[in-house]
Amino acid sequence: MGTLRYIGGRLLFLVPQIFGIVLVGFLLVKAVPGDPATLMLGPMATPDSIAKLRGELGLDKPLPVQFIIYINRIAHGDFGTSWQTTQPVVEDLAVRFPATLELVSFGLLVALAIGIPLGIVSATRRHRVLARIGDFYGLVAGALPDFWLALILIYVFYSLLGWMSSPIGRIDVMLLPPRTITGFYTIDSLVEGNWPAFRSSLAHLVLPVLTLGLVNAGPILKTTQSAMERMLQADFSLYARLCGLPEKLVMRHALRNALPSIVTIVSVLYGFLIGGAVLVEIVFSWGGAGQYAVQGVLNADFNPVLGFVIFSALFSLIVYLVVDLVYLAIDPRIRQ
Amino acid sequence: MEPLLEVTELVKHFPLEGTRSVVQAVNGVSFSINKGETLSLVGESGSGKTTVGRCVLGLIPPTGGKILFRRKPTGHGWNVRSPGMRGKIQLVFQEPGESLDPRMPVMASIEEPLRSMKLTAGKRRERVRDVIERVHLPQGLLEQYPSELSAGQQQRVAIARAIVTEPELLVLDEPTSALSPTARAEIIDLLVHVQRELGTAYLFISHDLSAVHQLSHRTAVMYLGRIVEEGMSDEVFRTPHHPYSVGLLSSVMLPSPDLKRETTFVLEGEIPSPIDLPPGCPLVSRCPFRIERCAAAFPDTAMVTPTHRVHCYRHDEVAGREKATDTFAAFQRIAERVLSLPHHGEAVAITKARD
Amino acid sequence: MTGSEAMTRDERGIAASPAAAAPLIEVEDLEVAYHVYGSAPNRALRGISFQIMPGQILGLVGESGVGKSTLARAIMGVLPSPGRIERGQVRFMGSDLVAFDEAELAKERGRNLAMIVANPRGELNPLLPIGRQIAEVARAHLAVGREEAARLAIDMLKAVSIPDPERRMRAFPHELSGGMAQRVVIAIALVCSPKFVISDDATSGLDVTVQAQILNLLRRLAREKHMAMLYITRDIGVAANFCDRIAIIYRGQIVEEAPTDAFFGGPEHPYSNLLLAAFVHDPRLRARWGAALARVTPAAGEAACLFADHCVNRQERCVSERPALEESTPGRLVRCHFPVHR
Repeated sequence: MGTLRYIGGRLLFLVPQIFGIVLVGFLLVKAVPGDPATLMLGPMATPDSIAKLRGELGLDKPLPVQFIIYINRIAHGDFGTSWQTTQPVVEDLAVRFPATLELVSFGLLVALAIGIPLGIVSATRRHRVLARIGDFYGLVAGALPDFWLALILIYVFYSLLGWMSSPIGRIDVMLLPPRTITGFYTIDSLVEGNWPAFRSSLAHLVLPVLTLGLVNAGPILKTTQSAMERMLQADFSLYARLCGLPEKLVMRHALRNALPSIVTIVSVLYGFLIGGAVLVEIVFSWGGAGQYAVQGVLNADFNPVLGFVIFSALFSLIVYLVVDLVYLAIDPRIRQ
Repeated sequence: MEPLLEVTELVKHFPLEGTRSVVQAVNGVSFSINKGETLSLVGESGSGKTTVGRCVLGLIPPTGGKILFRRKPTGHGWNVRSPGMRGKIQLVFQEPGESLDPRMPVMASIEEPLRSMKLTAGKRRERVRDVIERVHLPQGLLEQYPSELSAGQQQRVAIARAIVTEPELLVLDEPTSALSPTARAEIIDLLVHVQRELGTAYLFISHDLSAVHQLSHRTAVMYLGRIVEEGMSDEVFRTPHHPYSVGLLSSVMLPSPDLKRETTFVLEGEIPSPIDLPPGCPLVSRCPFRIERCAAAFPDTAMVTPTHRVHCYRHDEVAGREKATDTFAAFQRIAERVLSLPHHGEAVAITKARD
Repeated sequence: MTGSEAMTRDERGIAASPAAAAPLIEVEDLEVAYHVYGSAPNRALRGISFQIMPGQILGLVGESGVGKSTLARAIMGVLPSPGRIERGQVRFMGSDLVAFDEAELAKERGRNLAMIVANPRGELNPLLPIGRQIAEVARAHLAVGREEAARLAIDMLKAVSIPDPERRMRAFPHELSGGMAQRVVIAIALVCSPKFVISDDATSGLDVTVQAQILNLLRRLAREKHMAMLYITRDIGVAANFCDRIAIIYRGQIVEEAPTDAFFGGPEHPYSNLLLAAFVHDPRLRARWGAALARVTPAAGEAACLFADHCVNRQERCVSERPALEESTPGRLVRCHFPVHR
């Protein structure tokens, strides 16, 4: 009962949080130099037509009024239209957001699969060779730019070895994407039983996921290593050995106690990568949300930018809520 | 003679975050201390004795009741920050290592309380040098840092710091608990000596009954926020009338091979939580003497002698049935006899053949 | 002491006579040093020797920092890494524990050799319910399944007088009071019915009434299970009431060992007298034994008795020759050239 009340409270608290984010986002976006009307009409535009367009777009009204108008529209689910794609922002995001989510989710899974085991091995120093590899990896991964790694991987596996399919987009150009249910091509094609689409989307995921996975395994490895080292030196681990518990069991308990730190970093990475994967998205022409937002910034197309900010903020907040629930599940001391 | 400190029906409740429950740390405590005398507050952890100390010092505001210092109620206008009361009540903590700032040399630590008084730097140093002698430490120690001193020496410094303003009342919160037996004995000696010289009154809060036995004129036994028995120390130790006092005294272990334990019980069970206590006597869940009345209302004061009061409906029976020996006094006698016997160490060394 | 307790002590005394039984654990000449890079090694234990018979409780009394915890950890094989056993043997159940490697020691720990730690709430795993922590130790050493281990855990909780054990199995360490957590740690130490138990200052942080209960409990369990016990403490009073024999440790050496009653009838080592003197009110009597404590500059050299600097009875011989631990009166050992005989 207490948990449900807690969740309810947090969800309710989302409203003022989102409001704050929208306000700040709005002001920041307006601070970006560049006049949308001028950009839209091009270099040949006359001052009159620019003024007329500005009036239509509501850009001549005072800032607070513009904000209120905007809030009102959002509340009705109208995030405006992107003048670049000429589509409503909501529809654009409905495709691009799941694209990024699919990429980032798989990427993080790979990062976890690499980072956690290596982190544990580095902490326990069981296999000296692997531990050294782990140390080196942690050092290097933090320095690796993701777009550079992406280009290297494309060069090696596509250009040189020809093992991978062409690194453009989420699915083979010749194939139709599956019917949208979740927006994840892999899941949707599975549900449909559409094997060609499934294989193709999976194949196209390999390189970008590998990129994100290899780069983000670094922070996960380091966090796991430091948390495990601390837990293995903690009083309860020493006590467990004092009672003669086998070392494997001691390690399992240490890992369990280290989980909160690992969960924290995963949640931070998750929230970050929604926008932070933009360079990888660009290299692979992924058509993701980050890319969309960046183009909006470069072209003073405000609606996509604000739309992206709000959606990704909402996503982060939900991720943090889930993480807090996970903490509650792991650590009984918090439940008090 | 007016009492120096009078505490009347002191109550302190701490609200528990996020609930409507309340931790009833202190539930109606009354006592007084006269100039130059020592009153000890004795009890287990959770009895509220530390909280009482904090309220007396003005560190936390009471929920109810009155505290009078020199007959004036303490509060906004009359507390340890007021000009008339500054330096008059001081505190000595349990952990000497933690109560001294590790980055300040001893001289600076002891000087600190003097800063709120109108004294020149020269006069302050003089007072510090005076007080360091009073606590039987060498002058050279003033330049050192706390980490370079032993625990016993650190506690002496803490005491020096507490008496440098010549307080009228010293609150000591478990000052001997962290010390080895020899250091403990020395600190108690010092406290006796200081009281004799300066006439400082002590509120001695401790669960170390042997220290209490040595140092205090009067003793009050606390349990879960209430005083259950109070009187001259001799009276309380030799003829305790409250079941809790009896249980507490019989649980203390002294090396007393020749003493037979007269009492028949050791208090069983755990101490209940001080949250939302039921009405009545707080010992009711563990007391072998309990009757129906005990759960209904906390017993009023019963005077055993004009100086000895107890809060128990059956205190006469308790005293009659449990013939408690003053184990402490008895053990003192045994130890003193053993230690003052002449010994034949040297004679043995000469006559014993060694390989 | 009541009459019945006195009788039990005699009974155990008879059982402890050399002809009757072999010692359960025998420590001989144990030396432990901590090696810190850049300075001389810190000699924490300088040749500790003692033995404990089955069913006997030996109290090891000393002030802080003299090596009591080091001894406990050395016997259990869990010395923190700058510490090393330099010499000596720990003979237990026919083998020398010092010669064991980590795997063999891990098999013994918890099974035949157990330690009750102080600060239990800090040492228990905060994320696991206590029932599970007890059961895990049982499963690690005894060939029992999950259900059997849970049953053993409940039995142990009952044995240590924790009320409502079935419900308490699911409690977490932070939900327990200090006294309860201490009982849980005792339950963990005893679940496999070990032959030898070390209590490392296990009750000093507890309230007096709780401590009394726990010691009664330990004594009863020790008697029932015929365990040998090493009770390490700073509190000589508790040792007197609880132990059959007392050993006083000073700067890494045992300076006196005697049956408890005999000891308090007249300690033989000047340091033991000093410890006892801390209890008396008379400052002159305390000065008689402790006057030399104020000596700040060490006069004694490398070959001297370790207590020479602070001993009121110091003679020439004490400064030039370190005494050995030898029998002074039958059944009593003392490390002093001029022991105090009354």
